[in-house]
Amino acid sequence: MVESSNKRLAIKAEGLVKRFDENILAVNGIDLTIEANTIFALLGPNGAGKTTTINMLTTLLAPTEGSASVAGFDVIKQANEVRNAIGVTFQETTLDDELTGRQALDFHARLYGMSKDQRTAKIRELLALVELEEAADRTISTYSGGMKRRLELIRGLMTDPEVLFLDEPTLGLDPQSRARIGDYIVELKEKHGMSVLLTTHYMDEAEKLSDRVAIIDHGKILTEGTPSELVEQMGADVITIIGHGNREEFVSKINDLPCCETVTSGNGLVQIGVDSGSKHLVEVISQANQSDFVVDDISVAKPSLGDVFLKFTGRQFRD
Amino acid sequence: MSAAITLWNKHMVKSLRNSMEMSSMLIQPVLWVVLFGVGMGSLLGPNMPGGQDFYITFMLPGIIALTASGGAIGGGSTWLNERLQGIVKEYLAAPIPRLSILMGNALSTVSKGLVQSLVILIVGLIVGANMTTNPLGWLGALLLVSAFTLGFAGIALAMASSTDNTGAYHAMIMLLNLPLLFLSNALYPLETMPTWMRIGALINPTTYVVTGLRYLLIVNGTELARVEAIPLWLCFLVIAIFAILGMWLASRRFKKSLN
Ligand SMILES: Nc1ncnc2c1ncn2[C@@H]1O[C@H](COP(=O)(O)OP(=O)(O)OP(=O)(O)O)[C@@H](O)[C@H]1O
Ligand SMILES: [Mg+2]
Repeated sequence: MVESSNKRLAIKAEGLVKRFDENILAVNGIDLTIEANTIFALLGPNGAGKTTTINMLTTLLAPTEGSASVAGFDVIKQANEVRNAIGVTFQETTLDDELTGRQALDFHARLYGMSKDQRTAKIRELLALVELEEAADRTISTYSGGMKRRLELIRGLMTDPEVLFLDEPTLGLDPQSRARIGDYIVELKEKHGMSVLLTTHYMDEAEKLSDRVAIIDHGKILTEGTPSELVEQMGADVITIIGHGNREEFVSKINDLPCCETVTSGNGLVQIGVDSGSKHLVEVISQANQSDFVVDDISVAKPSLGDVFLKFTGRQFRD
Repeated sequence: MSAAITLWNKHMVKSLRNSMEMSSMLIQPVLWVVLFGVGMGSLLGPNMPGGQDFYITFMLPGIIALTASGGAIGGGSTWLNERLQGIVKEYLAAPIPRLSILMGNALSTVSKGLVQSLVILIVGLIVGANMTTNPLGWLGALLLVSAFTLGFAGIALAMASSTDNTGAYHAMIMLLNLPLLFLSNALYPLETMPTWMRIGALINPTTYVVTGLRYLLIVNGTELARVEAIPLWLCFLVIAIFAILGMWLASRRFKKSLN
């Protein structure tokens, strides 16, 4: 019974902890439940613990504490079954420069026991997807950074994985390549029922691709939901203020106002979520004047995932 | 096993494509035989029981052992490179036994070592080493060399798993390689050594591979080898244990490097 209910989950993690040495707590108790056939984005600043989490879920690292299953298999007790069911694109390149692109893909598929015919067909299909056909028989050392990234991405897709892990998959890609890869990932999900866990530093990408998003910092998940749920928490509008002076007093005054749902302050920015930006703008400015806070710049906008990110991590989405 | 063969295949494809590696792999043992063998032969020859030509015959097994250990060092640095470049992550995420990753590397090291050994034997014949052409002798010799290479490859892989620094790896392994060659009967007979050195040579696996090769390859080798008072079966036994210990050490250090 437990087995069959787990099967419907792509990923389940409970109390996952990873400690390096004595005092580096890279992942500090992560719980994740990711349904099959969803694209799930893990967002967080540098050093938040995203890669470490992926390394544990992909069986590369043993968790210090906690447990996890991927595609219904336990990452420790059934590591080989997990490996059989997943595809991974790591954050840092893991390509062997001395092989040709085609050799790299073929070799990878052989590790998974794919037959010659399957390999040939899949390689042709995927090379076409990322427009690497012409470069396929050159050694990888002659590829540009973006070409290597594209090759690495399709390598993870060679084996038609049930669960795909993508650690910053589109880092260093031009907009067209990003868009194509994004479309293909969505297609894989929709047509083949694949589940995807990805990390990204592109907020538009996270918002567009993912069904659900979690924000992670200091090894903990701070919030989780669909992109629109998270954005709606922010209020209908966000007033963003850059200024100097007595910020603390200003923030506490704003906090006391009934109109304002969220106040965040970090990196010299103050963000206020309100039900209607134009209605409360004057009020906010007058609070600033009363608290010796000089407003240098003020704007009203619809909130985005980036604002949610800022609220939870105190950092801009791309810093 | 099939994963080990896939990995072996990858390493071989890479080496065959690399013309610099290939040519140095083939030329180096030839240079050893020709320069060192002939040079030392004319220096030491008059003192050798069989005269000048005999020194080449005498030291040929040592050159095979030396080349095998050189190949093992190369296998270790391939492994270290794969670790440092993150290539290992691809293997670790794949549904293959962890041990097959090491086996693939060791197998390719052994294969290259076998090719080199054959080259040395052929060059040896050409420059006039007094060698048998008995195929059984050659087969036994290649088997012995393979096991020796495996053992040394294990040590190299263990060291390459224990450090993240290419310079440190080479420094450590050279420190080990030197006594393995010189503290053995590869270049001079046991009986002419001072006692402390003979004891060192007797606990050195190189002595056993060299002695075994003399039994198997050299005309009247039994006579020559018997001087050392080491029977042939002991050579095979010691080298088999060496191979197993080496691979055991490698897999231990490898597992440790994963966390
Ligand atoms: N092998 C390791 N040994 C020691 N500390 C490590 C190791 N790997 C990661 N860390 C530490 O764990 C923390 C989380 O790192 P991780 O790579 O998971 O972050 P991340 O969220 O992927 O960041 P980024 O966006 O920069 O990729 C960091 O503080 C990092 O220094
Ligand atoms: Mg990372």
